[in-house]
Amino acid sequence: MIELPLFIDLGDAAVHTLNGIFRGSILFMIASGLTIIFGVLGVLNLAHGEFYGIGAFLLTSIATFFVVRIAAPTDPLSTAIFAAAIVIAVLLSAAILIPIAGAIEATVIRPIYDRAEMYQLLLTYALLLILVDTIRIIWGSQPVRPAAVDGQQIHAALDVIPMEELFGFQYSSVRIFTIFIGIGTFLFLLWFFDRTKTGRIIRATAIDREAATAIGVSSDRVFTLVFALGGFFAGFSGALYSVSAIPATAEMGGTALVLSFVVIVIGGLGSIRGSFVGAILVGVVWSWAIAEYPPAEIAAPFALMILVLLVRPEGLYGAWGEIE
Amino acid sequence: MDKPDTQTEEGRADSNGIGNIGRRGMLKAAGGTALAIALAGCSDVLLGDDEEVVDVADVPDEPVEAGLQTFTEGPASVLGLQAQFGAEEAVRRINDAGGVAGREIELDVVEEGDSWIENYSRFVDDGKEVTFGPISSGGHLDLVGEVEAQGVVNIATDGTVTRMFEEELDDPTYAFRFQNHDVMEAASAALTAIEQLGADEIDTYANINPDYAFGQDEREIFNATIEQLTDAEEVYSGFPELATDDMSTHVTSVVSEEPDVLFTSCWGGDATLLLSQGQDQGMMDATDIIVGPVLYGSANDFSSGDIEGNIWSGSRNFYWDFPDSDRWSPGRELFDAAQEAEDTIPTAHYMSGYGAVTCWATAVEGLVDMLGGWPEQEQIAAALEGHGFYTPAGYHVMAEDHQCYSNAHFGRLTWNDEMDIPVIEEMTIRDPREVSPPPGEISVEWIESWS
Amino acid sequence: MSNEDQSEEKETIRLMKGLHLTKPQLALALVGLVVVLLVPEIEGFFDNLQLDTFHNGILWGMAALGLALLLNKTELVSFGHAAFFGGGAYGGAMLVNFVGVDSGLLILFAAVFFSTAMAFAIGWFVADYVAIYFALLTLAFGQLLYAIAIGSPTLGQDEGLRLRSGGEASGDPPSLFGIEFTLQQQGEYRLVLYYFTILLLIASMIVMYRIMKSPFGSALEAIGQNRTRARFIGIPVERYVWGAFTISGFYGGIAGGLYGLRQLSIGPEGTLYVFVSGEILFMAILGGFQTIIGPIIGGIVLTFLLDNVRFLTEHFELIIGILLLLVVFVLPKGIWGSSEDIKNGLMTRVKNPAQLGADVGTLQKMLINAVRNAITTIKIILFGVK
Repeated sequence: MIELPLFIDLGDAAVHTLNGIFRGSILFMIASGLTIIFGVLGVLNLAHGEFYGIGAFLLTSIATFFVVRIAAPTDPLSTAIFAAAIVIAVLLSAAILIPIAGAIEATVIRPIYDRAEMYQLLLTYALLLILVDTIRIIWGSQPVRPAAVDGQQIHAALDVIPMEELFGFQYSSVRIFTIFIGIGTFLFLLWFFDRTKTGRIIRATAIDREAATAIGVSSDRVFTLVFALGGFFAGFSGALYSVSAIPATAEMGGTALVLSFVVIVIGGLGSIRGSFVGAILVGVVWSWAIAEYPPAEIAAPFALMILVLLVRPEGLYGAWGEIE
Repeated sequence: MDKPDTQTEEGRADSNGIGNIGRRGMLKAAGGTALAIALAGCSDVLLGDDEEVVDVADVPDEPVEAGLQTFTEGPASVLGLQAQFGAEEAVRRINDAGGVAGREIELDVVEEGDSWIENYSRFVDDGKEVTFGPISSGGHLDLVGEVEAQGVVNIATDGTVTRMFEEELDDPTYAFRFQNHDVMEAASAALTAIEQLGADEIDTYANINPDYAFGQDEREIFNATIEQLTDAEEVYSGFPELATDDMSTHVTSVVSEEPDVLFTSCWGGDATLLLSQGQDQGMMDATDIIVGPVLYGSANDFSSGDIEGNIWSGSRNFYWDFPDSDRWSPGRELFDAAQEAEDTIPTAHYMSGYGAVTCWATAVEGLVDMLGGWPEQEQIAAALEGHGFYTPAGYHVMAEDHQCYSNAHFGRLTWNDEMDIPVIEEMTIRDPREVSPPPGEISVEWIESWS
Repeated sequence: MSNEDQSEEKETIRLMKGLHLTKPQLALALVGLVVVLLVPEIEGFFDNLQLDTFHNGILWGMAALGLALLLNKTELVSFGHAAFFGGGAYGGAMLVNFVGVDSGLLILFAAVFFSTAMAFAIGWFVADYVAIYFALLTLAFGQLLYAIAIGSPTLGQDEGLRLRSGGEASGDPPSLFGIEFTLQQQGEYRLVLYYFTILLLIASMIVMYRIMKSPFGSALEAIGQNRTRARFIGIPVERYVWGAFTISGFYGGIAGGLYGLRQLSIGPEGTLYVFVSGEILFMAILGGFQTIIGPIIGGIVLTFLLDNVRFLTEHFELIIGILLLLVVFVLPKGIWGSSEDIKNGLMTRVKNPAQLGADVGTLQKMLINAVRNAITTIKIILFGVK
């Protein structure tokens, strides 16, 4: 076969890009929560990555519960039932984080809104340590994946899109779904903050807490709601990651947190659009960095962040702390 | 050893803690320093023509305090906990058999984290007579200087980077390492690929290794070996971040290059992730063979779908089902013990802990028999050099370069439906001399001298 | 701050220009000095008190002291301070490995020079930023340095570098003040280094005190309170912040350089990683960054906890997390900053033990209230208002 080194294999390019977008979608769902929480509550929640980790671990337990009870997918019907079970598992994992995050906000974070930034950081760092160890106590310190279905991982059992036939390259269907869910989350959040009453109340509170209180908004409830919402999406993202058979570890929250910082700084603090663009950008740059120059893997996102800040100090969609 | 003046002698005692004063006092009483030098130099002192030799310390009544630092949490706990389980099993067996010269062993385990020096110093201060671990090769490099300075024997369980005892350490006294070093498994991997495909059939190969000293070491030796024996060229080399959460980009690159051989030294969660994402993207079809020295270390995490394909795995110095348990039972007994105590499949890392403890205990037991009393650290260190002993993994020799040599295991990774666990079949055992240079030589140079 | 304010009213003793202490303060300082000097002597009597831990704690505390200048005066939170601690450690180690120097003092100079230069360079980028952007940008620079160190074969990647002679794993320690040490004399080497550290600690505390009291310090404080106003009254804000940032890098460099000399082997994970930055920050807050001595106390206490709790329980993160949580709620000014409150609180309770019962009651009420609050809010979120 004749090699044409001048041209990049289109299939490869597509897969590298898809890998990046997949990672970006996951990152977006974590970073959007972080950025909204920061925008409304004014607190940079260092424990946010742990919600993502807890979501991933919850999925391994809930999905395993389903997998051992439901018939393995063989025909369209059993595949549909199996897929429905996994969707329920993902939603359930994320939903469990609503009361967890809500309770954390209402008990330990609420008393520190008026304190200096550094105490908020110290407190959420303490929460991070506590949550990491709680994960270890519940799920152990070794990597965990959901139980296999006939030796296959869940996502392999759900490989229903014939990518090879349609596009000429192999790619996991669950990853494609995850990308769509990421985009869907983005659109939902835009709609939510722009069109719904609750969303507008939250934005009003973010802009002027006192004025909002004056017109009868309970800022306590708004704050808890926002925190729980952030926890939900982080958990959702962790659960989706786990479905793709990526082993859940107690440490996964730390990495996700640091990358989420990068994302929201690139996008502009408080900006949902910004964190979406930032997340996809970080994901794709990361993926292409590995493909083209592997040693840049760790440094690429940080270099990108510094670059963006030098050109646009307020981030791509700089909103300076207001939800947009 | 120079006699320090009074002031500095005080300083030493202070900085080493009170536990050490006793040890050094005992040492003086026994004339240990002179003895150690004599012991290290010539073994005829052991025959007892020196008066001081007779004057050894009695075997104490209290148990032997031992310390193990290992990864009990974090990604490397996949290896670290195995080492801990193995060490604890060895201690259990030794104590059930009456201890070391009648003394039971009490093993304290601490998370190594990134505090290798602090952990070791703390062990010494607490009066530990022997220390084991760490798992980390970088940690071991941190630690060896400390071990040489503080003089309490340390047997590293893992941290197998080849360079350590070949280049980094100049004639160590107290620092040892039990597990096979990387050259043995990386060279075995190359030899396995050549045996399976034939030297003429291998034109291209690719690498995916974790991005740290171990991964680079493994790749360097694998490349040297395969390029020495075939005309193959490397078409891809990826270094995913250690404990990464996504390897898909590396997998994509390998799939697109379609190499004949893929070498990977990924371990723990990385190995599971690589194989499962490899299955997603057809990596097993794109390559003719995948050889991975430590894939079986993730035996407890694999499901059958992960390991479909022509995948060969090393198992360092130990595989529980070799020789076949129908013929020879010690390996199987260790398997059963691990299953019962920890519900785990013992991997080579289990042996890292088991062997390190056994190595020390057998050496000391023999030494007590010869001396008629309890030996000093210098004596134990001297006795460990050249010490040979058996474990369920076979015969091991702690060589004069302080690197222990055992057989290297490599075979086909498959799923055993009956037991519902991954197993290794078609096991090939290589004598250390086949895959490791004699002590004192540099591995890569040795490989490049092959014809 | 309260201590220093009082000192102006009471009778003070002038130690040197700009450094006045009241008698009790002087006595306390002397007692502290004696204790610190005696640590090597008394460690044998307490199983858990180790010179190693104490020494490292002081070094981390010195880095935290540099950070406290930013925290206290400019109210900027640097989340990348490991860059200077690690930068110092690496700066010294590079001199050993690439130039072959084995004089401890030269190594320390290299460390300080390297990290100060780095702080100077990074400071130029970050001086314009405020609040959380400053924190995140310093974090990014810190992580970039970590990524470089862990990716560079010259810097030993994950294995880092050795500061022993020839950069070897079991070489001799560097020389100090012309004294050569063999590998076996490492204990003596560390003892000499410890006393040298104490000397530098006292010097750096005095210098920091004078910086904070100087017009420069007041200007920084004005910047911290209100940048715009500071600019109006003619303070070159960016240049001053840049200066403060460089100074704090200088402190990180001394601490990191000494840390390298103490450990004799350094790696990126333990000196440059983002969580190391977090730890330095939390030491400053834990001890009380409004004072000079607070960060040092914070350094010693957190290092002690990190070193010791690990030996007691597998779940040391949980314990340390809970302790930090308590610091936020119970000791808002840090350990040292709250010492007056602690003393007063204790005195009241000694005089009136019934107060303890009331404390328990208050605590209970607070907890019950918090939990009830949480449940109500979550109910509302999940099921709406009924």
